[in-house]
Amino acid sequence: MRLRVPLLAKLGAVVVATTGFYTYVGQMVPQKEIYPPKEILIKADVTTAEMTTIGKEIFEGKGLCTTCHTIGKKTGPYRFPDLDNVAVRARTREPGLSDVDYFAQTLYEPDVFIVPGFNPGMPTINKPPIGLTDQEILCVMAFLQSLGGTPNVTMATKHHYNGGGAAAVAAAAPAAAPKP
Amino acid sequence: MTGKGLKIAAGLVLAVLALAAAARVGLYLVEKHEYKEPERAQLADPTPREQGVLDEKAAADKVASAKPYVEAEYRAFPGIGSRVAIWIVAQLHLLFAAFVLAVPIFALIIEFIGYKTKDKRYDRLAYEFTKLLSVSFSLTATFGAALTFMLIILYPKFTNYMMSVFSPTFLPYVLLFFFEAFFLYTYYYGWGKFSPRIHLLLGLGLNLVGTGIMLIANAWVTFMTSPAGVSEKGAVISTWQAVRNFTWMPINVHRIIANIAFGGSIAGAYAAVKFLQATTDEERAHYDWMGYIGNFVAISAFLPLPFAGYWLAKEIYAYSQTLGLTMMGGAFSWLFIIQAVLIGNLFLGANYYLWLGMGRVPGAQNFQKYIKYLLIVVAACFMVWATPRSIIATVSEVRAMGGSSHPALGFLGVMSAKNTAVNILILTTFMSFLLYRRTGKTPTVPWAKTGNAVQLGIFGTAAAIVIGLGITGYFVEAKVRIGLSVPQVGSVLLAMIAITVIDVPLYRKARMSGEVQWGKIPAISQYVLIFIAVTFTWLMGLMGYVRSGLRQHWHVYGVVRDTSVDAFTPTLGFATKVVSVTVLIFFALIGFVFWLASLHDKKDWDGGASS
Repeated sequence: MRLRVPLLAKLGAVVVATTGFYTYVGQMVPQKEIYPPKEILIKADVTTAEMTTIGKEIFEGKGLCTTCHTIGKKTGPYRFPDLDNVAVRARTREPGLSDVDYFAQTLYEPDVFIVPGFNPGMPTINKPPIGLTDQEILCVMAFLQSLGGTPNVTMATKHHYNGGGAAAVAAAAPAAAPKP
Repeated sequence: MTGKGLKIAAGLVLAVLALAAAARVGLYLVEKHEYKEPERAQLADPTPREQGVLDEKAAADKVASAKPYVEAEYRAFPGIGSRVAIWIVAQLHLLFAAFVLAVPIFALIIEFIGYKTKDKRYDRLAYEFTKLLSVSFSLTATFGAALTFMLIILYPKFTNYMMSVFSPTFLPYVLLFFFEAFFLYTYYYGWGKFSPRIHLLLGLGLNLVGTGIMLIANAWVTFMTSPAGVSEKGAVISTWQAVRNFTWMPINVHRIIANIAFGGSIAGAYAAVKFLQATTDEERAHYDWMGYIGNFVAISAFLPLPFAGYWLAKEIYAYSQTLGLTMMGGAFSWLFIIQAVLIGNLFLGANYYLWLGMGRVPGAQNFQKYIKYLLIVVAACFMVWATPRSIIATVSEVRAMGGSSHPALGFLGVMSAKNTAVNILILTTFMSFLLYRRTGKTPTVPWAKTGNAVQLGIFGTAAAIVIGLGITGYFVEAKVRIGLSVPQVGSVLLAMIAITVIDVPLYRKARMSGEVQWGKIPAISQYVLIFIAVTFTWLMGLMGYVRSGLRQHWHVYGVVRDTSVDAFTPTLGFATKVVSVTVLIFFALIGFVFWLASLHDKKDWDGGASS
């Protein structure tokens, strides 16, 4: 005798099996919970070396820098500039700007200068959603200086955006042949 | 001392010890039961118990009356938590709302075709689609009310903020909702009661009001992703600017198209159920046709959907590169692999249904021979699209590959390959439609050969442009590569329009090798329709998650931060489970809607008089 499966059971089986299959696919991809970035307490008397370490943490965490930037990627395509040896390029990227001033400009007013070959897209780092504090940005600058150079910023370093006197130059013109 | 003497001495010592022990035990027992005066407190309790209770109550009242009002930021939903509760209710509301907004669009078009051609079948079909609306409308409203109350209860502070920004939109929304009910019920209950033109106008009113409701609700949700019209601190500057934020119009367009695709698939599933329940050939023929129309609507809307998706993604990037990269290259990048599986299945299902449908028409053999080639192309594109850029591998596997990307297949994981694959998929599915349309027909126009050749040329050119630009994408910098997707999409869109424009006059007076035999289709085709409907629903759930989850730990991105216990992005595995639960609840409820709609055709209960 042939077993007759009720239509409702067949329809239910199709719905459940299809849904089950997609749920299974969902379990097959990498599983990761993503938490809001941790706040890092920065004391006023931290050394430049400590700032570099803290800056690296912020770079990889709260700053979300690694969402777009790479460090030491050898071959393209590049989404945004690779930051290997960026400390060297920062010293001469824009005439009249020191590396500290250049870094400050790229973080506080990222659209003032766009590296040739790339689209604008860098968010203003001291405003939400990233919203780094002036102290955190100094630490990130210390870390950036460590990429091909020797960090020299301190918690007392002043630049155009934290009450310092050096004015940032609004240089829209591209600099000399950049590394991406 | 003799031995005897020693024994006597030892016996005496033991006797004395035993007596001493017995005396100690006796003394202990006497002391234990001795009467002792109870120890009493020296001072009497200055506060009698009753007074103490009163004092405590008075003190508590004083504290309570002095307590300041503190606005609750969050409240917890028992068991599953607030986020999941809101997630499920919002998704169910959206699914029913999408259905209620979509069905009137194609019901009106089908009714209009019936009015113009004087073919009553179209009128009956449009009415049958509309029958599904009234209960769905009630469920949409119920879930909408539940969502509103739950937001007020569970997320009071955030809800309050949204009200402060969008309060001018709420009354118009309610008013439109009232008009929606008016038009919907008049359209449904007035079927055949008014002149066709008046009835069509009612349908038009229903669509316009429904679209208006969607536009307002879209403003709220898109503002959460790409806020505008508010200061850095969140103060309202312009409600109108808040409404027309970066992602509002792309979402409006994307949702209208997606709703039609989704609504068509659900209507197709209804027809499939009715087909499988049918007991006569006439019923089978009618519901086969209805299922075909439902699927045609779904797939026709589905083909341009990726283009609307491109625009939406472009606007997200334009608003915030960080948000865009979080979506496509960060936390949610793997979600798009799941999406690829879903869309690939939709294309496979849609093509399979069309190929099965060719059997309805005598003389289909001429075209069926091409199916295997189409299947190869669809499968190949599916595989390319579902290939991830980086894969989960052990340390040794990563070493062997020289990185997290496969040395060869890794190249298929980038956007250049995926854009190419999806555009070719769309072209191939369009080709399936074209073959289905031509089944059993021979063109009679004198320029038939030229027309066919031109169509083939357009098709080939579009495919060549898509593939050529896809390959070019590997050799140019990011700035150029991102822009290549526009001509890829444009060429496919233009090709589809141009081929259709030629096809309509080409087959206008075609010679038929036989009539379409509706109902002559294998039963498995109806299960394919249900599979397509479930896949569409699941896809909507998944994409709803990414649209909302993209904000991560922000209620309103960059403005109102989520500080609740749920302020983290769950795993994709968890998200897919929630989506699945929602889809199952939706299908249980839509099954109820189908059942209620089918009661309409049943005979009235006569209390057994007819037996």
